[in-house]
Amino acid sequence: MNSSNILHVLNLLTPEIVLCGLAFGVLLLDIIFFRSDSVEHRHEQLGCSVIIGLVMVFFIYALQYMDWQNTFVVGHGAFVASRLNTLFKMAVVGLALITVVIGFKTPYSTHVGEYYGLMLFSVLGMVFLISSEDLLMIFIALELISLTLYVLTAFQKGARRSVEGGLKYFIFGGFSAAFLLFGLSYIYGATGHTSLREIAGALQGDQLAKVPMKMLGIGILFTLVGLGFKIAAAPFHLWAPDAYEGAPTPVAAMIATGSKIASFVALTKLLLIGLPAAAGSALSWPTRWHSGWAGTVAIIAVLSMTIGNFAAIMQTNVKRLLAYSSVAHAGYILVAIVAIQASGVPAPSAAPAIYFYIIIYALTNIGAFGVVNAIGSKAGGDDFEHFTGMARRSPYLSLLMLIFMLSLAGIPPLAGFFGKFYLFAAAVQADPKNLGLLWLVAYAIAMSAVSLYYYLKLTKQMYVLPAKDPRRVTSNPAMNTSLGLIGLMVLLMGVFPNKVVERFENLNANPYPIWEAAVPPPPQPEIPVPAPAEKPAVPAPAAPAPKS
Amino acid sequence: MPTLSDYLVLSAILFSIGLAGALTRRNTIIILVGLEMMLNAANINLVAFWHFLPPSPTGQMFALFAIAIAGAEAATGLALVIAVYRHYRSVNAEDISNLKG
Amino acid sequence: MENSLFYFFSVAMLSCALLTITCKNPVSSVIFLVLAFFSMAGLFVLLNAFFLAAVQVLVYAGAIMVLFLFVIMLLNLPAEEKRHRGWFGGAASIFVMVALMLELSFVAHHEKLASSPASPGIDGTTEDVGMVLFSRYMLPFEVASLLLLAAMIGVIILSRKEKK
Repeated sequence: MNSSNILHVLNLLTPEIVLCGLAFGVLLLDIIFFRSDSVEHRHEQLGCSVIIGLVMVFFIYALQYMDWQNTFVVGHGAFVASRLNTLFKMAVVGLALITVVIGFKTPYSTHVGEYYGLMLFSVLGMVFLISSEDLLMIFIALELISLTLYVLTAFQKGARRSVEGGLKYFIFGGFSAAFLLFGLSYIYGATGHTSLREIAGALQGDQLAKVPMKMLGIGILFTLVGLGFKIAAAPFHLWAPDAYEGAPTPVAAMIATGSKIASFVALTKLLLIGLPAAAGSALSWPTRWHSGWAGTVAIIAVLSMTIGNFAAIMQTNVKRLLAYSSVAHAGYILVAIVAIQASGVPAPSAAPAIYFYIIIYALTNIGAFGVVNAIGSKAGGDDFEHFTGMARRSPYLSLLMLIFMLSLAGIPPLAGFFGKFYLFAAAVQADPKNLGLLWLVAYAIAMSAVSLYYYLKLTKQMYVLPAKDPRRVTSNPAMNTSLGLIGLMVLLMGVFPNKVVERFENLNANPYPIWEAAVPPPPQPEIPVPAPAEKPAVPAPAAPAPKS
Repeated sequence: MPTLSDYLVLSAILFSIGLAGALTRRNTIIILVGLEMMLNAANINLVAFWHFLPPSPTGQMFALFAIAIAGAEAATGLALVIAVYRHYRSVNAEDISNLKG
Repeated sequence: MENSLFYFFSVAMLSCALLTITCKNPVSSVIFLVLAFFSMAGLFVLLNAFFLAAVQVLVYAGAIMVLFLFVIMLLNLPAEEKRHRGWFGGAASIFVMVALMLELSFVAHHEKLASSPASPGIDGTTEDVGMVLFSRYMLPFEVASLLLLAAMIGVIILSRKEKK
């Protein structure tokens, strides 16, 4: 590597470096200047610095997004800079920003600088996870996210449930890391590579005969177990309710949104870029079912939807309810991964539905956690009883919660409906002649109907039942504004979903060419842009917003 | 000469022993020990693959990073155990169950 | 020679591993763990990964064992008393373990794998490792350093006693 290449790489990594500097800055500021201040004061000052810093990082990403046309690969796929990745990084940084805002002025610990520092380290992990296409980097980034989140979950050290949630999260996470590493080692051993694209190359054509398939199969299975823990898919979800309930609400929001987005992006990349050749098929059980990861993922999806939705019905704590609902949502997203594989479109060009869904899921969920935090910190807890009659005590927050719940349930015209619509449409379209995935889609729709019950149960608690405690619940203006903005976005994405999906489709049209950044970038080559009409990955929306 | 299969069988057995330990023991510290054992079993795989596959530094590097991460994980886990012990005066998994559902 | 060393280290590692999870006393458990990892370092030497063998000894014997022992002493843990879980749970765990072991061993044994190294001359000396670590693996190296820093901060926060 000569010096100009290093400069090129550093240029690609600018936002990550700024983020890293921000994390160090917050830690140092706290130690050097604010040690003697009161906790509230430190919280305010450091929180504001973090917010400003994150906004800056967000805009650097936005600049990169507008600036780039190509994909850059550093170190055999350890860091891949593309517009699609940048969009996800913007989403993750935006979610972190919201997390900081909703956690503002609700100090859970006296270690303010470390709280923000660890949170930023976890965001760094997510950012690196999103941009990695290499098994080693995926493992390191996942562990960076996990370790910081274990600590943050237990951060409210004075509270029993916080440390208990942290320990449970850690033990399950430890199992997941061990399975993941073992699985990755087998995938590496079977193919001889760790870079996802090289793995895909090793599984192509006549190369395939040389690969020990049973070993690869076990590797994929173990990796799915490991990643299944991270995305909280059943039956690996047992930690989720305890960690969500125990963790300080902003941290729970981060586990449920940012870390989940990043893990899903990693899973999607691993399966669709690295291992498409080992997919098998999940079509029409049992006649066209072939062994491969598609069938396994379909089974995990069915289990997640079933267990998530039915267990959510029995919950009486809002955070636990959101935990089980996120298990169910992981199931829906896995349906889409199976669908994309079955559609046979080469890797990333069929994924807009899944990306749209992940973004909407994260946005809605962080809004819901924001409301839970706002109400919970004032009403003294986050059980259902604390939310009773909230419509009279805080009409604004209750309205927002209503929007988020209905969106999660998938009621039109909110964003959640179109997320599910695109997802299920993509699954039906995957095999349009025989409708091979219809069984999976039908099951997912039935489960969505079940989910309506518990979302409405919470809504009923807030709107129908009378309040026991007539005092009003208010929250600070910053929180109100940001939650309002999220609510507005959920509404708008429901009214104009095609705008967002088109954006993802455009991104997927030219994910290539790719070159090693170690080599100076060649002059802009001609990109053969596939005609979008050839094989639409996602059908045009059923005229949700007719353009006249 | 031991072959690649020999090393893989060895690591498979070590992984299973670690898993059994982590699943059957109640002491969270010993559960942690079991997890370390599972991670190390994966390291044997990585190094063995590195040795037997066509030359590339990948496997060894992977194992090196895995050791570092396993160390960080053990430290975090022990710190969590200490934090939990302060509340429950116990490190037994069964005693630590306030949250349920 | 290599064969006998391999069998020696394997048997030592597996028996120490078994003793680790069966000992009732946490201190002896951890000591057996370290013996198991020492044997593993021996296996790494047989595989020509000299640097990794050294790291294995330093990290596990030098750092992790001390950490485990320190925590066990700090908490002054007694030996685990007799377990009350019924035979069913134990039997199920053993069944899972044996099934997994057989499955993995079967796969590892029956796949068409290389029986001798593709390029016998390659060594994992410190120089080789360093060259690669600071060129191709620079970025993972930096991220791993962030991970260690984050873990360090987290551990200090979690384990320190708060002033009332």
